Amino acid sequence: MTDCGPCRECLSADLDGEAGTVPASVTEHLAGCDACSRWYARVTQVNRLVRTAPAEPGPGLSDDQLAGLLDLLPPPPAAPSRARRLGRPVARVALALVGLAQALLGGLPLLVPGVAAVDPHAAMMGAGMMHMSHEYSAWNLALGVSFLAGAAWTRHLAGVLPVLASFVAVLLVVSGVDLVDGEVDPARVVSHALVVLGLVLVVAIVALGAPRPTLGPVRADLDPLPDAPPRPAVGAETGTGGPAGRTHRHRPNPAARHRAA
Amino acid sequence: MIDDATLTALALRARDGDRRAATDLVGHTYQQVWRMLVALSNRRVAEDLTQETFARAFRALPGFRAESSVRAWLLAIARRVAADHLRAARARPSIDPRITVEDADPAASGEVGDSVALRELVDRLDPDRGLAFVLTQLIGLSYLEAAQVCDCPVGTIRSRVARARDELAGHLTGRDDPRDAHG
Repeated sequence: MTDCGPCRECLSADLDGEAGTVPASVTEHLAGCDACSRWYARVTQVNRLVRTAPAEPGPGLSDDQLAGLLDLLPPPPAAPSRARRLGRPVARVALALVGLAQALLGGLPLLVPGVAAVDPHAAMMGAGMMHMSHEYSAWNLALGVSFLAGAAWTRHLAGVLPVLASFVAVLLVVSGVDLVDGEVDPARVVSHALVVLGLVLVVAIVALGAPRPTLGPVRADLDPLPDAPPRPAVGAETGTGGPAGRTHRHRPNPAARHRAA
Repeated sequence: MIDDATLTALALRARDGDRRAATDLVGHTYQQVWRMLVALSNRRVAEDLTQETFARAFRALPGFRAESSVRAWLLAIARRVAADHLRAARARPSIDPRITVEDADPAASGEVGDSVALRELVDRLDPDRGLAFVLTQLIGLSYLEAAQVCDCPVGTIRSRVARARDELAGHLTGRDDPRDAHG
């Protein structure tokens, strides 16, 4: 048989709807223990008193006090500037266009053999120039696709940056060197501008950032006992809403209720 | 009674500097904060401490993430305000701020049904038990929320509430019936 202490604790929690199911051992103990029955009767009486007692209204705040408090509030977030608001969508559209152009630049030589103006018999590093051209086209196509995808799913853009930035950096350096050495046609170098423009747009979109994150979701799992009856308003802003409205919960022992009444 | 979701929405708007939402938030929670601070200190200082609680809460709003209920968050701040006040008061060589002017024992007057007497009995509860009782019975927090406020296990709240009821029930009869001692 349960001891009086744990039994009373369980009964007390039950009065607040916090005991879950009252174990049979507790109801049995209550039925067989005079001391606990008397205790339970008095405690339910206390509960009734507490719930019917009017709430004691606090003094409240004066207008000056309230104004002083409101001055402590965080400042409202500055409305995003026009440039910031418009900049991002514009940059995304531009990036999509750049991506499209870049994909065409890469894809056309693959689809239309004549476009890649290379000497089919020249060779380099064990591969025919034709194959080098194919490799280059594949890479251009991939960049175009990544721009398009980045414009659509901007949260992945930051991940593209290291590859893109290192590619552009190396490309610019070798293009400069090749230009000086006369190893490359300037028109060919100009076509790299597309990739550079893409990089600039990606950086811009990442820097402009997502709109201010919306307020975090309120955790629905906070209420530990969704089945618990509503709690009373005590001394809410009116100072009059006493706990009287609180519903009485079941009492496990009819005998105790009889004595309490 | 205002629901937690509404309070959370108000707090989040106040976080963005909405003064009207902040005013509503104070309106809906002032009495509960004040009542708890009465339990933790006394009626003379509770008003100032309540104001200090809202001041701290407003300053802390940028960090508010709605991870616990607004009331639990606010009352936890109130508990720290009261603790700081008690510490400061103890450092001063003055009277213990918990000591209030003692009236006649309200239970002795036989006015057990009187709400004022009941209030005084609640004020005289052991501090930890009194806090658990006020939070769960007068303010209406769940045991879990009260545990968050007190930074203690739910089981501790459960046992403190039971003990507080024990104490109050003892006062209701004017004396502890020795036959009712725990077995």
